[in-house]
Amino acid sequence: MSYKIPMGPYHPALEEPYKLDLICEGETVCDAKLHIGFNFRGIEHLAETRNYIQVTALMERVCGICSNIHTLTLCQAMEQLAGQAPPPRAKYIRVIMAELERLHSHVLWAGIASKLMGFKTMFMTCFEIREKVMDVLAAISGNRVNYSMNRIGGVNRDIQDPQAILAMINQLESEMMHAVIPIFTTSSTARSRCAGIGVLNEEKAISCGVVGPTARASGLPQDIRRAAPYAAYPELEFNVPVEPAGDVRARLLVRALEIIESISILRQALEKLPPGEIDTGDDKVKFITGTATSRVEAPRGEVMYSVSWKEGSRNPSRVHVRTPTYVNMPAVRWMVQGARLADTPLIQASIDPCYSCTDR
Amino acid sequence: MSLIETLPHKLGSSVPWMEKGGVLWLDPGPLAVRKLCAEMNAAKARFITITTYQLPGTEGFRLEYHWDIEGQLLGFPFKLEGNSIDSIYDMCEAADWIEREIHEEYAIEFTGREYEPLLLRAGDTPGVNLREEVKK
Repeated sequence: MSYKIPMGPYHPALEEPYKLDLICEGETVCDAKLHIGFNFRGIEHLAETRNYIQVTALMERVCGICSNIHTLTLCQAMEQLAGQAPPPRAKYIRVIMAELERLHSHVLWAGIASKLMGFKTMFMTCFEIREKVMDVLAAISGNRVNYSMNRIGGVNRDIQDPQAILAMINQLESEMMHAVIPIFTTSSTARSRCAGIGVLNEEKAISCGVVGPTARASGLPQDIRRAAPYAAYPELEFNVPVEPAGDVRARLLVRALEIIESISILRQALEKLPPGEIDTGDDKVKFITGTATSRVEAPRGEVMYSVSWKEGSRNPSRVHVRTPTYVNMPAVRWMVQGARLADTPLIQASIDPCYSCTDR
Repeated sequence: MSLIETLPHKLGSSVPWMEKGGVLWLDPGPLAVRKLCAEMNAAKARFITITTYQLPGTEGFRLEYHWDIEGQLLGFPFKLEGNSIDSIYDMCEAADWIEREIHEEYAIEFTGREYEPLLLRAGDTPGVNLREEVKK
């Protein structure tokens, strides 16, 4: 006999309000239904009532983890309509902020995953390291969450002392390589808890259109930084980690390897940081009529913004945001089918869901 | 010829791609959205999203369908005279949530599918144009 177990919208295993209705037979999950919308704020429509400065501040608040990515994607789209290209130094600073945000997001996720694995010491270690990443972000931007770094035509703050930031990155790398990476790549505890559960095979990953580490852990080598490079990424060398297994462990491995790649990108960007201005210096922004689209590889996967403007208008006529969790979350239904009920919190967390982004 | 270059011919279009705003656009003309989806599936394109625009006055809506092939974003604009268009959900699972969201926010009917509430909560009415409330 099957029965339904509602998990959420407010539940210790869920970081944000959403609901999973799990259809079970005994301890086995047969199917799941997802419910979102508990954070729906109508931000896309609100954006139509904001000017280009206000809309940047507004879209930074779509997400509390990848706030910088949202303004980066938005500004890249608006720059196409305003005919402005950021100077090289600004492009490098954008990459530095984006990779620091990826580090912060992946370490935060590693902490939550550790807690769900029952590995609470690791949770504390990850959160301690995350604080240090946020210290670096605060040292550059002056802020811990909404960094206010991106603007049309460049960035708002310079990196005055790249060597000091590099020293902080070296310290972070040392701690991650000693504490986090070995646990997630070689620990038998992590392996036994994560291997073979929550499988999303390659065929299903393509069908669901999943993105980011969720796609790369199902054998799909897609990464917008590589496929359609933006900012300073064309000038930097990095690998795109791909794991074919499609299970929770593969998602763990991909993120662990991405932490190493992010540190490598950060080191290259700080060492190559070109001299010069950090913005175009053009304070009078004029938009042409049209629609521009931009895509960026956020920590959870590809973010896309479509921005429409009418020449002479104060506000955008449309801002559409497609976030990574929006396409990753429906795949959870397939990941939990056949899983043990006790594994579902870890499986749903393995895509690193963000409902602030999804509900917008 | 690359896969992208061959697509206009496969889709029966006499006009080439037009690059604008970071997207390669192709006017689908009389092509049905389901035929387009079938060709995109055949080309192993990755579905990205559908962006909806409410046009001024009684002009209706424009839906822009986006797919990705090898990192290139492709766009296909469909003008809706009324408020309905065929659903592609049964051919493209990734379109499920965005079709449901557009139905809830703009009252557009995707024919050939059923809906469950996505962003709206119990007691709310799906299929109400939320933008009309913004205008008031």
